[in-house]
Amino acid sequence: MERIGIVFGKEVLDNLRDRRTLGSAVIGALLGPLLILMIIIILGQVFFREGAAKPLTLPVIGAERAPNLIAFLQQQNAQIVPGPADPETAVRNGDVELVLIIPPEYPEDFAAGRPAAVRIVEDSSRQSASVSVARARSLLNAYGRQIAALRLVARGVSPAVIQPVMVESVDTATPQSQVLIFLNALPYFLMFALFSGGAGVIIDSTAGERERGSLEPLLINPAARREIVLGKLLAALPFASAVLLLTLGAYAVIFNVVPLEDFIGFRLSIDPLALAGIFLVCLPMIVLATALQMIIATFARNFKEAQTYVGFLPLVPALPGLGLAFIPVRPDLWTMLIPTFGQQILINQFMRAEPVSPANLLISAAVTLALAAGLIVISIRLYDREQIILAR
Amino acid sequence: MIEVLDLHKSFGAVKAVQGVSFTAPDGRITGLLGPNGAGKSTTLRMLYTLLRPDAGTARVDGFDVRQAPLEVQRRLGALPDARGLYPRLTARENVRYFGRLHGLNGADLEARIERLVRLLEMGEIADRRTEGFSTGERLKVAIARALVHGPRNVLLDEPTNGLDVMSTRAMRDVIRRLRDDGQCVLFSSHIMQEVAMLCDHIVIIAHGRVVAQGTADELRAQTGQASLEDAFVSVIGSEEGLER
Repeated sequence: MERIGIVFGKEVLDNLRDRRTLGSAVIGALLGPLLILMIIIILGQVFFREGAAKPLTLPVIGAERAPNLIAFLQQQNAQIVPGPADPETAVRNGDVELVLIIPPEYPEDFAAGRPAAVRIVEDSSRQSASVSVARARSLLNAYGRQIAALRLVARGVSPAVIQPVMVESVDTATPQSQVLIFLNALPYFLMFALFSGGAGVIIDSTAGERERGSLEPLLINPAARREIVLGKLLAALPFASAVLLLTLGAYAVIFNVVPLEDFIGFRLSIDPLALAGIFLVCLPMIVLATALQMIIATFARNFKEAQTYVGFLPLVPALPGLGLAFIPVRPDLWTMLIPTFGQQILINQFMRAEPVSPANLLISAAVTLALAAGLIVISIRLYDREQIILAR
Repeated sequence: MIEVLDLHKSFGAVKAVQGVSFTAPDGRITGLLGPNGAGKSTTLRMLYTLLRPDAGTARVDGFDVRQAPLEVQRRLGALPDARGLYPRLTARENVRYFGRLHGLNGADLEARIERLVRLLEMGEIADRRTEGFSTGERLKVAIARALVHGPRNVLLDEPTNGLDVMSTRAMRDVIRRLRDDGQCVLFSSHIMQEVAMLCDHIVIIAHGRVVAQGTADELRAQTGQASLEDAFVSVIGSEEGLER
């Protein structure tokens, strides 16, 4: 038992001095939070800068022929600018999104109570212009309805007569829900962080030890292989935990300190207690990740190969998590029996401040730790074989 | 004391060692001489318990390598062919790690390390990180960590490999001093001069078998050759893989 501590202490000291591995672990920790922050800001731009607050720029030809209409449009936050000389070419070339043409006969038709034609020049194949065109069209329709209502009232008829059906639409797609979909990627980034945190230590102390030629001298010491393997495994845990804490800390800053409401118009926050819960949920996964990495790095022929394989590792448990981002899964018992999958569901629950069942917490932790224990036994067996010093 | 009786070891179809027997007594330098690939390293690896013999027995101070590997490991210090250090640890930290794995600690361990630093003339490098050490400096650290627990039996696999003349001479002095302290020294080499110069007892290995053993004089008498070199060649059957 004492030798486990000796191996642990040496590996921790040795890896603390490895600035490069420490640096890449820190970058790995901050990558996810930075991506989430970027997604939130970009989504915020898309949904809010395009919103009604922005005035509609409307090139008009013949504005002087319809002063009332122009006044109405300006009231509705449209900015009237003079139209181009050749409206169709200008629209086709994309110089302007649309042009409103008020023809010369408009004042006469309007005064006589005949339908007065106005023309919108648009390019319907141009997606980016569709919002502006739709806004212009709905403003013109609104003006038409308003005039129609006034004329009916002037003749003593209720405006309701010409509106037999009134359509009301309720749009449930809020900017909130759009942002929250991407927030579902957060468990994935947590997995990535906890897999990357201890990877350097494991690779250095297994494949690295062999490549340096220090494994054979080490194994000649009167220490059981299980003591050496456990010491190395344990040494990776503080590094992985620190990286995970750093990641969670970065999320805490993003959600509770950065003024996100300036970007997305509403507050997003994660309770520090929920972050603590997420940390606890992740701890068994750290043990599992470390054990998996140990086996893979031990099988690898050299340092480079170990780095490649271990680098791919977080993808495997992260795949269900990525799926979770788009298909909601309820926290049923069967999901808790799948290591890493159950935890990602629990993390989502913590994030949404939903009540988390203690039984689910315990079951997922127990299953994950049991699997990790099995993998640790396998790594000890691997170190008990004599091929460990022969295979290069 | 190291006793080896009829050791066998195969890797798949390759018979690396097929019947090696010898005794390396305390207070003597015993040399395993043989061409590269003759089975010297495999024999040493079975002695320091990293490989299990397929057949035969090997004992270190009476403890069987298969039945009591931990006792054997405590009683021997080994410099294997792979002698990598931890580059981010200082020379002293490298030695201290192995000392602690041998159950040493505190003032006793530090005093042992200090003695080895003086014996191996490592004063200047002891507290530097081993990254960038020369081959000779690395070897000193590797030997210090093999000897830190004061083993009665010392196994050295090609200890002068890659050393310059000065380091080789210093290495030989260390080996002689261990012998003079009454330790059992067993070392392997494919360099005839070195074995002839250092060893009290020479075991010549070829193709996994002991082909001759004895003192230099006995070997010359056995083969009827005037020089040791000719004696070696006559028992091995060729000069291949040997170095003068």
